[in-house]
Amino acid sequence: MIAIDGKPVSCDVLVIGGGIAGLMASIAAADAGAKVVVAEKANSKRSGCGATGNDHFKCYIPEVHGDDLAPIIRQMNESQTGGLLDTHLTVLFLKECFDRVKDWDSWGIPMRPHGTWEFTGHAIPGRPKLSLKYAGAEQKLVLTREALKRGVVIMNKLPISELITNQRGEVIGAIGISVAEQKPEMKIFRAKNVVVTTGNTSRLYPPRTAGWMFNTANCPACTGTGRIASYKAGAKLVNIDVPYTHAGPKYFSRCGKATWTGIIKDLSGKPVGPFATKPSKDGDVTADIWNGVFAAKNKTGQAVFMDCSEASEEDLEYMFWGLRHEGDTSLVEAMQTDGIELRKHMVEFQQYEPILVGRGIQINERGETNVPGLYAAGDDIGNFRADIGGACVFGHIAGRNAAARSATMHGVENAEDSPLVEEKRAFYSQMMEREHGASWKEANVAVQCLMNDYCGLEVRSEVLFATGLEYISRLKQKAHSSLKCSDSHELMRCLEALDLIEIGELVMLAARERKETRGKHVRIDHPYTNLLYDNKFITVQNVEGKPRIEWRDRT
Amino acid sequence: MPPVVNKTKCNKCGICIANCPMDVLHSAANGFPDVRYPEECWHCNSCKLDCAAGAIHLRIPLPAMLLYTAAPGVSPSTTGANKGRSPE
Repeated sequence: MIAIDGKPVSCDVLVIGGGIAGLMASIAAADAGAKVVVAEKANSKRSGCGATGNDHFKCYIPEVHGDDLAPIIRQMNESQTGGLLDTHLTVLFLKECFDRVKDWDSWGIPMRPHGTWEFTGHAIPGRPKLSLKYAGAEQKLVLTREALKRGVVIMNKLPISELITNQRGEVIGAIGISVAEQKPEMKIFRAKNVVVTTGNTSRLYPPRTAGWMFNTANCPACTGTGRIASYKAGAKLVNIDVPYTHAGPKYFSRCGKATWTGIIKDLSGKPVGPFATKPSKDGDVTADIWNGVFAAKNKTGQAVFMDCSEASEEDLEYMFWGLRHEGDTSLVEAMQTDGIELRKHMVEFQQYEPILVGRGIQINERGETNVPGLYAAGDDIGNFRADIGGACVFGHIAGRNAAARSATMHGVENAEDSPLVEEKRAFYSQMMEREHGASWKEANVAVQCLMNDYCGLEVRSEVLFATGLEYISRLKQKAHSSLKCSDSHELMRCLEALDLIEIGELVMLAARERKETRGKHVRIDHPYTNLLYDNKFITVQNVEGKPRIEWRDRT
Repeated sequence: MPPVVNKTKCNKCGICIANCPMDVLHSAANGFPDVRYPEECWHCNSCKLDCAAGAIHLRIPLPAMLLYTAAPGVSPSTTGANKGRSPE
């Protein structure tokens, strides 16, 4: 039987995931007086999408942007991260983001590294520029230090696999598995409140480099655990039906396309978009406005490139400085190794596979889900999205509210007595002890194939959803009864694959419900966009073991 | 994008093992980092950035090679390092 630590870890606020949102939640909760534990799958110093930095922080600064919120809200909705935002959360974000920017700056993450509040990149002509250029290379190190300084306990190498609820349906803790040693050990957490911040969902669709599943732009350790654990606890998921795709250098998957200062061109050197012809610090916003440009051009037999050859010395230096802070030093070094000179060469770009970001757990203005004791923030949430800025702001909101609720509660409950603990212990042991069976890679590849073929970008239909759901349900059963693992690392990956199958099934269900074409949700059987569905979101909720799909108005 | 460890420079501090977000690096019996899951490397460069001894770098695997061609109006050149573009 898999080992289990007989001493549960108790705290006021358990934060699941030590990324940007998780560390901010822990800092805010500790500042509010709570005893906080962060359970982090890897190491909070380098985990998640914030790993080695980011250089854009979505933000509104009254002294820069003026006091009229209307054009700001409009830009939030129409930007790359927009489309599915609840307005009341957008307004809240705009109210608080500058305070968080000032916090980060005071803690040692340079938010105006060149002296002024600088907004470059993601810049749509005539619109407010909301992407604050900052120097994020050390952000995770800084935030980890700030959390530790406040007495937050960070437990690294500790992925969480399940939330524990009591009989009243309140979240009272979680199950984690230490992967610090070769042999896994289960750890049980008792918490008054839990904040789920497990990031985006990657590895759900086939990578652009077949079989190379960790070659992703966003962190591939993030596989939807927060969404599925929250769903199982009764939380509503929202907006998982319309796909989001990112873009960047072809085959070398990395974020940071808005850090490049060149122009997007075809092979002959003709700019593909009408927005810029000469490089500048703002780059070419074609990819933001026409997010599908790379795929659309590829489909007509063309290749699309990022051409920086005419950039000034200053713009190129600015770009390389930005790429470092965006976490792209490996990209820059790969260019050096290959002898790529941006004065002589242009790099091909492509659309990446779909991920879930801004598609996930539904929250209110306190960062609460509909399940008592359960909060969520960051890329894990579905009715607001602002990437790094969003994770920072809503992490803080969720953390301080979880702490406030903790202050009204008398103690923790014995989460370790939940029948779920023994049930999961038996299941994990079964996978560890199985002599013959499927590897986690088999399960991961299988779900990626199904998602690509039955819930992909090219064509969606009732027939594909119906058959896809039948197949994914079968895959779920086969995976449960055949997955095997031989150590803690493989167990972690097996559980990730199972979470991906679960979230894939829910995505299919939600997408089937949307009988229209909207954004990248392309229904061959409903090829029009139905204005009656404007500003309407689809939610999925576990009700007595069955998914309940509902529509609601955007609020 | 697996890490490559230079054993003559590595001082076995273990920081790369501790920090890797993908659990790629583990401690080998001889104390050096073992790149146990090279295909699970995300090419984030944390290991290289956090190594005080400069003992680790990434090898970019073939599927992830950068695709590039001559910029418009420039004759193709594939030789020479990217001069003056060091990442500091």
